[in-house]
This record gives sequence, structure tokens and C-alpha cells, in this order.
Amino acid sequence: MHNPLPLDGTGEKKVVRTAVLFMGLAHLLWLRDTVKGLLFAAVEIFYIFMIPSIGKKLIDLVTLGSPQPELPIKMRDNSIFMLIDGILTIVLLIVFITLYIISVRSARQGYREYCRKKRPMTMGESFSTTLSKAFPVVGLTPSFLLILVLVVVPLIFSASVAFTNYSAPDNIPPNNTVDWVGLANFKTLLGGEASWTSGFVRVATWTVIWAFFATLTCYFGGLFVAILLRESKIRLVPFFRLIFILPYAVPSVVSMLVWRNLLNGTFGTINRTLMALHIIDTPIPWLGDPLLAKIVVILINLWAGFGYFMLLATGAMTAVSQDIFEAARIDGASRFQVLRHITLPLVLYQTMPLIIMSFTYNINNFGAIFFLTGGSPTVADSTITSAGGTDILVTWIYKLTITLLKYNYASVIAVLIFLVLAPFAVFNFRQTKAFKEGDL
Amino acid sequence: MKDTLKKRKNYRVIEEINTTITMIIFIIISLFVLYPLVYVVSAAFSPGTGIASVNIIPFGDGFTAKHFVRLFTETLYGRWFLNTLYIATSTSLLTVLITSIAAYAYSRFNFSLKKPFLMSYLILQIFPSFVGMVAIYVILLRINGLDTLWGLVLVYVAGNLPYNTWLVKNYMDTVSRNLDEAARIDGAGHFRIFFSIMLPVAKPVISFLAITSFTAPWMDYIFPRMVLRSVEKQTLALGLFGFVTDKKNEFTTFAAGSLIVAIPFIIFFLLSQRFMVNSFSGAAVKE
Repeated sequence: MHNPLPLDGTGEKKVVRTAVLFMGLAHLLWLRDTVKGLLFAAVEIFYIFMIPSIGKKLIDLVTLGSPQPELPIKMRDNSIFMLIDGILTIVLLIVFITLYIISVRSARQGYREYCRKKRPMTMGESFSTTLSKAFPVVGLTPSFLLILVLVVVPLIFSASVAFTNYSAPDNIPPNNTVDWVGLANFKTLLGGEASWTSGFVRVATWTVIWAFFATLTCYFGGLFVAILLRESKIRLVPFFRLIFILPYAVPSVVSMLVWRNLLNGTFGTINRTLMALHIIDTPIPWLGDPLLAKIVVILINLWAGFGYFMLLATGAMTAVSQDIFEAARIDGASRFQVLRHITLPLVLYQTMPLIIMSFTYNINNFGAIFFLTGGSPTVADSTITSAGGTDILVTWIYKLTITLLKYNYASVIAVLIFLVLAPFAVFNFRQTKAFKEGDL
Repeated sequence: MKDTLKKRKNYRVIEEINTTITMIIFIIISLFVLYPLVYVVSAAFSPGTGIASVNIIPFGDGFTAKHFVRLFTETLYGRWFLNTLYIATSTSLLTVLITSIAAYAYSRFNFSLKKPFLMSYLILQIFPSFVGMVAIYVILLRINGLDTLWGLVLVYVAGNLPYNTWLVKNYMDTVSRNLDEAARIDGAGHFRIFFSIMLPVAKPVISFLAITSFTAPWMDYIFPRMVLRSVEKQTLALGLFGFVTDKKNEFTTFAAGSLIVAIPFIIFFLLSQRFMVNSFSGAAVKE
């Protein structure tokens, strides 16, 4: 059979041009890689059929629909569906472009192979090479689809909502439409409307204070207990260690809800006990006073969290080589000196990355706040912002979404948290085994 | 001679004081730690309903098992338990299957865009999952996944995929390629190699993955609250939370229900404590 393609590599331009013209055309026409060619062509044909709907979705993404109060609710434009569909369409287009690039590259590679072999592929070869490359494609498709639809698209969506007015009462589909508003939400929260801005600043400040103290108390509490357990000569050490781990093993929903009831201002057990013992006359509003509630929240978090750091510090201490202690003892170091100059620095060095990890964890520690206080007590701006005295940004996002339906503000806060946490997250990841040992 | 004796005696006194102080500290911490736990157990068996009616002395009101009976007869506790078990099991199985096969592909094959994909996983895993909450709601609404258990399972599986894939891929990278090479010479296909060689060898990291993805859904609150609406589709965390909302206060029933979930967790945790801490720190931080 006559094949006009030169064997000396000069035909590359021609092959690439054909490949660019239509996906898979080069495979079919020149390289006789029939199976792959047909697959690529099928993809392009599929997308060509989609063009009208892709175009419509993209236009919808820009306009987000127009208000149609004259129509019944079910037939009105639903801006949120338009937004999601638009984002999905863009993602699909990116997938298409990627596939196109892959197909052109594959054609070029196929041509080089052809020059080497001096003949086009047979049907059998085409079938078997495609099959051998099928495994990664088949294996990755489920995870790729899941990540795309339930991780990537939601993230882009959230970021986009921050630039719309998607909020109750006037812009909730399907009754009404949503519009792009640019940076208006950022302006309101960061320096516009009095109660929103002051609420945001208050919650953000408390979030940082909370994360700082929650991390430090747990870290040093755990370290202190671990050292005491190691240095003491009490026989019951394993028993105490077991008790101290218990809070960490109890699911936080359970333990926090229990504390919430024990600390209840009017009929909580702690107040009733203290009153029965005549230590206090009037109930203490443990979770009712803004300042006291904040202190209590940090203390209860210490209850829940010190066991984790105790375990880690214990692990780090046992990992320290015995030779060092032996050497120190021979040099005449006292037990305190060994602790101060050998054990502590080593443990601190090893667990330091965990402090930062724990800090970022606490910034987003929904359970510790939501189940214990639910964000209460109410403060000055609570009626408008719904954020209480102990609310941190995450629990506030939750309230804005579920109760107030202010999706736009919730998204702005989520975007801001991300911008602040991203450097920490990168740092965390650089500490992990996955990063250090993994080759990209 | 006398001097050293005196010194030794002094030393022993100091030692004893130290031990006593440590002991006191330990007892105080233990009381602080055990107080709420003892209280849950006592409330679970106490006859009253609300927190206000529970005696301030643990086990001071006598002993009854009626809350446990009530949980299974008058509330949907059994249903919630089964729902949660279903979600946890499916999440665990799907996570293991999808993650390990993707990790195998990343570890053993070269294909176009492998590096950009892996890089984007890294970037994706730094976002907390609640960021996309509203969008996940709308997407589930569009694929009829709202108020279904499988919808929630998909959310859990997808949310942890990027990080888990890295974790398993890195483990597989350390497994010698001679093994699969030998199998390939013997004529085994990729699927065969994956199931009969790679999976057994990667057992430690796979079981870690299975355990963490099984335990996580038990006490999650945000996503079930958002996805599951009807009463008979609730999970344990939602149901338990419902007992102690501001509207009703059934603390004793809550305590009984919590006890049933928490005890297996505690036993399992104490048994696997060493293994878990090692894997946690091992997976998270390199010494």
C-alpha cells in the first residue's frame, strides 16, 4: 500500500498539522493507529455536538439569568444552577483542550515511531498499544471525576460566590436571580457597614487568639504531663497514662455536648455542685459571659487535646537514643540537667512542626466551638451578623450559610481564611513524609 | 561518713516530697479528666430526663437501663446506627479501592500530564472541605444525591482523595519494581499485578487508610446536617445532637446513646494506640 509520508522525519510538520486540524485525524490518516484515532475522533465529535449548549452555558455564566417575576417560580432563571453549570462547562472545556494537546503530542510521537519502524501500524499493534496504555486511564478516571466534580468545581464556585450577591432575603434562587457585584462583599466586611465590619474584625481576632491559646495550652500541657510521667517513680504511671488518653479517644461531639450540659448556667451540674458545697451563692454563667466563656472554651479544649500531645511527646522521648543518656550520666549530669539540656530540646525540635499543624487545625476547629457553646453568648452585633462571643470564623461561616443564608459573606470569609492559611498549609505539607520522600 | 549518710537521707526526703507532689498533680488531672466521663456514665443509668434532674453525686439516683431500652424502642437510634455504619463502611471501601488503583497508576506508569496532576493534588488538599459546602449542596441537588446516604459517601470519598492518593502513591514508590516486573514476565496483566501483588504488599498503608476513612464519618456533623434531611436518614452525630438542643433536653438519653458509640471507639483506640500514633506521626511528619 502506498503511504506518502516520508520516513526521514521531514513529515512531522504535516502530521502535526493534520492532528491539529481534527483530533485523531493524523492517527487515522497517516499512522494507521486506528483504535486510538477513533477514540480521539469520538471525543471531538462529542464536543462538536455540545457546542450549542456549551455556548449557552457560558452566556448564562456571564449574565446569571434575568429576573422574570411574571413566570411561575419553576420556570424562572436559576442563577445558582447557571453558575455551577458555567463552571462545569469551563472545566469540561479545559479537559477538552488538554485532550487535544495530548492527541497532537501522541501523533508526533507516533510519527517518530513510524520513522523508526519504516512502516505504519497494523491493526493488531494499534489495538495492543492502546490496551497497554488503558490501565492508567481506567484506573484514574473515577478518582479524576470525583475530584473534579466534588472538589475542584465547589472550590471555584465558592470563590465565585464571593463576588456575587447570593444572599437572603432578595437574591435567593429560584424566586430571584443573583448578580455579579464585584468586590462589594469584601468592602462590606473589610471596611464598610459598621456592624459587619466590626463583627468580622472581632471574630477574626478571636479566631487567632483562640487558635494560639488552644494550641499552646494543649502543647505545653501535654509536654508537662509526659515529662512528669517519665520522670516520676510512681508505680501507677501506666494507669495514669491510660486515664489521660481517654479524652482524646472520646469523639468530640460527645464530650463537648457533655461539657456544655455540665457547664449550663442555670441547671448545670457544676454550678449545682458548687452551690451545694456552699462555695458560691449565685450560679456562675460559665458560657453566658463573653470573657468567661472564652476562657472556659480554651480550658475545655485543653481537656480534650492535651492527651494527643502527651502521646506525641512520650513517643518522641522514647525515640531518643539511650546512648546519649548514658554518656550524660557518665559525665555526671543530674537528672534535671539531662532533662533540661537533652530531652527537652530534642522533643521540642521533633514536635515543633506539629505546633504549626495544630494551629491551622484549631483555626478551623469547628467541633470544639460549635458543640460546646454554639458560638454564644450574644454580643452587640449578634442580631445582625449572627456571630456570638465565642464564634470563630468557621462556625460563623456555618451560621451564615445555614441560618442567615448569606452565602456571599460566607464565601468571602472562606476565601480570606484560605489566603491566610495557604502559607501555613504549604509549610505543613513540606513537613510531611509524602512531600519529603515523594518524587513528582 | 556521717556527712554522706545525712546527704543520702536528705536526698531521700526530697525524692519523697517530689513523688507526693507528682502524685497530687496526677490525681488532680485525673479528676479533671474523669469528671465529665464519669458523669456521662452515671447519667446514662440515672432515672431522670434532663440535666437538671440528674443528681450531682454520680450514681446518686439509683440505677436504670430504661434509657437504653428507650433508645431502641422509642427513638430511631438503631436506624441512625445502621445508617452511619453503612456510610462508614462504604466510604472506607470506596476510598481504598479508588485511591489505591489511582496511586498504583501514578506510581507505576508514565503518562502525559502526570506531574501537573500530582501538583494539583497538592494544592487541592490544602483547602478545608467546608469551603465548597454550598456548591456541594447544589451539585448533589442536581444529581439527586440530596438526602441520600450515597451522596454523603461520595462527598467523603472525594474530599480526601487528593491527600490519600499521595499517601498511598508514596508507599508504593518504596515497593521494589522487581516484584511486578517478575510477574509481568510470567504473563500477568496490570489488573492481576495490582490485585495479587501490589495490594497485599501495600497492606500497612491500605489498612491505615481503611481505618481512618472508616472512623471519620462517625462523628462528622457539618456534611450530614447539610445533605441528610429526612428523619430516617439521620446519622448518629445528628441524632445525638438532637437530644440536647435548646428545644429539648434529654440529657440522660443522650448519655446512653453516646455511651454505646463511644465505648467501642475508646476500646479500639486504647488497643491500637501505639500503632495509630506511630502511623499518624509517621504519615504526617518525618523524623
